[in-house]
Amino acid sequence: MAKTGLASRLYAGEAGLDVIGRRKLWFGVAGALILVAVLSFALRGFTLGIEFAGGNSFQVPASVGTLDDAEKTVDTALASTAAGAEVVTAQKVGGTGGDFYEMRTTQLNAEQANAAKAEMARAFGIQPDQISGNQVSEAWGSQVTSRALLGLVIFVLLVTVYLVLRFEWRMAAAAVSSLFMNLILTAGIYSLVGFEVTPSTIIGFLTILGFALYDVVVVFDKVQENTRGITANNNQTYGEAANLAINQSLMRSLNTSVVALLPVGGLLFIGAGLLGAGTLKDLGLVLFVGMAVAFLTSILLATPLLVLLKNYEPRIQAHNKRVLARRTALARGEITPKGAARPAADADEPVDADAALAGAAPKVGARPAGKRATGARGGRPAGGGGNRPGGAKRR
Amino acid sequence: MRPGRQLAVLGLIFVVLYLLVFFSGGASGGFKDRLEPRLGLDLVGGTRMTLEATNSLDGKPPTAENLEEARQIIENRVNAYGVAEAEVVTEGNRNIVISLPGENRDLTDVGSAAELRFRKVLKAADGSGAAAAPAPTPTPAPSGSASPKPSGSAKPSGSASPSGAKATASPSAGGQGGGAPAPSASATPSPSASAAPSASASAEPVPAGVEEQRKAVEQKVGAAAWQAASGLQAPADLTADPSLADKLKPFGALSPREVAVLPAEMQFNVPMITCAQLDQRPPASIKDEKQKAVACEDGVQKYLLDVAKVLGTDVGDANAVLDQTSSWVVSLDFKGAGQEKWTNLTREAFNNEGQACDQTALGQDGKCRVAVVLDNKVVSSPEIQGVLTGDSQITGSFDNKTANALAGQLRYGALPVTFEAQEQQNVTATLGASHLRAGLLAAGIGMLLVIIYSFFYYRLLGSVIFLSLVLSGLLVFGALVFLGRQIGFTLTLAGIAGMIVSLGVAADSFVIYFERLKDEIREGRSPRSAVPRAWTRARRTIISANAITIMSAVVLYIVSVGAVKGFAFALGLATVLDLVVVFLFRHPIMTMFARTRAFLSPRVSGLGRILPPARSEQATRTSRVKEA
Repeated sequence: MAKTGLASRLYAGEAGLDVIGRRKLWFGVAGALILVAVLSFALRGFTLGIEFAGGNSFQVPASVGTLDDAEKTVDTALASTAAGAEVVTAQKVGGTGGDFYEMRTTQLNAEQANAAKAEMARAFGIQPDQISGNQVSEAWGSQVTSRALLGLVIFVLLVTVYLVLRFEWRMAAAAVSSLFMNLILTAGIYSLVGFEVTPSTIIGFLTILGFALYDVVVVFDKVQENTRGITANNNQTYGEAANLAINQSLMRSLNTSVVALLPVGGLLFIGAGLLGAGTLKDLGLVLFVGMAVAFLTSILLATPLLVLLKNYEPRIQAHNKRVLARRTALARGEITPKGAARPAADADEPVDADAALAGAAPKVGARPAGKRATGARGGRPAGGGGNRPGGAKRR
Repeated sequence: MRPGRQLAVLGLIFVVLYLLVFFSGGASGGFKDRLEPRLGLDLVGGTRMTLEATNSLDGKPPTAENLEEARQIIENRVNAYGVAEAEVVTEGNRNIVISLPGENRDLTDVGSAAELRFRKVLKAADGSGAAAAPAPTPTPAPSGSASPKPSGSAKPSGSASPSGAKATASPSAGGQGGGAPAPSASATPSPSASAAPSASASAEPVPAGVEEQRKAVEQKVGAAAWQAASGLQAPADLTADPSLADKLKPFGALSPREVAVLPAEMQFNVPMITCAQLDQRPPASIKDEKQKAVACEDGVQKYLLDVAKVLGTDVGDANAVLDQTSSWVVSLDFKGAGQEKWTNLTREAFNNEGQACDQTALGQDGKCRVAVVLDNKVVSSPEIQGVLTGDSQITGSFDNKTANALAGQLRYGALPVTFEAQEQQNVTATLGASHLRAGLLAAGIGMLLVIIYSFFYYRLLGSVIFLSLVLSGLLVFGALVFLGRQIGFTLTLAGIAGMIVSLGVAADSFVIYFERLKDEIREGRSPRSAVPRAWTRARRTIISANAITIMSAVVLYIVSVGAVKGFAFALGLATVLDLVVVFLFRHPIMTMFARTRAFLSPRVSGLGRILPPARSEQATRTSRVKEA
């Protein structure tokens, strides 16, 4: 179908993409990616920032000269204050108040750092208080990380309890495992690309948690709605209903992801483009990568996982069997149903289906019908008439 | 009308919040000053340091009371610098964060424990690391030239046993007795040179943790080196036995932390352990006054020190003064009991009771020296010229500043907890301002992108998004100013990032609502009935999704350290306020909007757009449903 066709079908929530049916593919891809990520952890490891190795950094105003000259001067200043100290990396970072050179050096103790700063200031001919400096012990990064891991554990526990209460345990399990996949894949991207990991990255990493689940909650909400009372009729297997939910909420997920990514993109743009380094860039990058991964995992992993789990539930298992049996029966023409066999994957909303089918059981479909009547009664010429072919025509 | 009432509540919240912003306690100055949020150091420039409490022996965090006591002492010390608005707060269960806005200064000393110990110098050696070619000092010691004692080599260990009660006697034997060596005790460690001393030396008085770490170090240096080192009774004479140099070599590669767990004798006797390593030992490595210790003076002289008989707690007051020769010294007043201890110590040193002090350690006049040990280093080690019954002085290479700093540390007392500087950040005012502008710019760009997108996608409904983002922005700003004043919340760069991220959360809740609305309209409902229906359903999703974000923010805020806290707080605050705006602004506005004619026009709302294609599809769809 044409691209515009897909777009408008997406817009209308009727894209009819078969996500659940290909779940083996997604699991396979996810498994492979996770394998790659884990291998990468083991073989490549991570590029750790200054906060993990320990070290110093100095920010010198760029007005002192070229980067190379500045680096040489700093090197000389360091050599004169501490044996073996040197500049590890030097880079120019922007700022709205003027550019800076950021020099990362080997670890200095406080006296050495002060002496080096004074020496640099003398060599550059500027005031010592024009030079910013950071000093980080090697333990700091690991302290931040260990607290972050603690946070991760607490958060996952809380959120599991919450999801169990709000949905059910299978949904919670699916959501949390897709969350972990999300984290592993994000970390894998960091390891593979070699992005620098700083405490800010770890913070951002934890924030992804919230977002990853945000998407999952949006989809699961729809799944729950679509499958409420699903066993009461024989039209859809659980997987089909879930697939429908994915299609219906695809645009929503896409939109929430895009909208969440936009400000983060701004953050990344300013952080990386303008400032060059630091908190904003680190946060922006990890959030950007993580949210993008979260969008995919929520669609391609969380719901298929849920279906996988659900299909083991006896009630659902029996229901699926019934649906399939009915379908084979229909195909063989053994029974003539009220309705012809519907290809469930691109079926309409179950709400309508339910209502159309039976109308007997007090199902979700029942209420809108009543409501709709009200709406029709009070319908206005503009809002109702021409534009609302709904109620009357459909029934 | 209900929507009107909800809007009124929102208006009321606004009025109250901004009344608080302008007129609550702490608000002062002109219009602009009252609207100033508290900005963090990374935005205005200044110094920040994070100190982590480390108990070098066990890894347990200090008790809350200890941490608070330490915080107060540090606050006193910082205030002694005369910096306005300095802030010292505890963070988590083991961090103390010191912030000096607008000041660029080195804070490292503030966190030093300032454990003062007076210890007799028992032996001295060269610790500069040039010891591979041994200094002349070691020679007399092993030769046993200290004639009064029966055997020279036995003597040092003899003095060890009564004082530290280290080898065999019970630890409670405190060692007040001074020099008189108990021969029986001395016999144990010395004869069985190689294995036994190391075992017995580390047997009782050391905590279990140290014992394990010692084992680890033993493995690291190898059994041969360890045996050689434990066999030493004096600084190894490498000229006499060159093979020893090779054996002991691994000790030179030990980290300061590993050096710290070695027995004092070993630290002293192995020449490969230099002052560079010793000075960098973790804080409180030699805090235990009942143990002998090794410490360096000026980074070159390595001393084996007796147990501490006078402590920092015996000092009543300390002041920096100029002495007769116009050099800065720190004068000490001892407390009553402390004075007595001090007199005893000087008597012991003056008489060199029990010949405890080795030849190498005696001063010019043949009297013992007493080292003033501050934390891991020897500040000075004057020879005791007489029995001192009055106040005392610490001399050393002080200037006005360092003398005052030391006096301040002694006066406010030692910290009950030892700290290590984890992170120190100096941000110049220029860099801070640049951060602030960059953060605001990023926020602006983020907001702009979201608004452009929402206008593009939802047409005129984008204006509802725009208005609510502006509203939440104003609410967040008001809350920031108010909270900054009331609970001291400071906005940092990470906090700004949190706000920016929350923009996404806020916009997300719109998307959920509007998409729901679209669903309802597609199902053929009139806007009037679709809005409340979509609202009930979207509300559930929005609340659960936001609850998760808030949950993550709260967890982050509680357990995290450093900049994360600011980020989490900002994210949580903005998300909560987003919920307020969702309930009190967006929903009523949409309810009102749904009554207008323009609502469904594709050009206006973006919602009607689904209808034209839907209508053309309607035929097939309807028929399908009808068949069903």
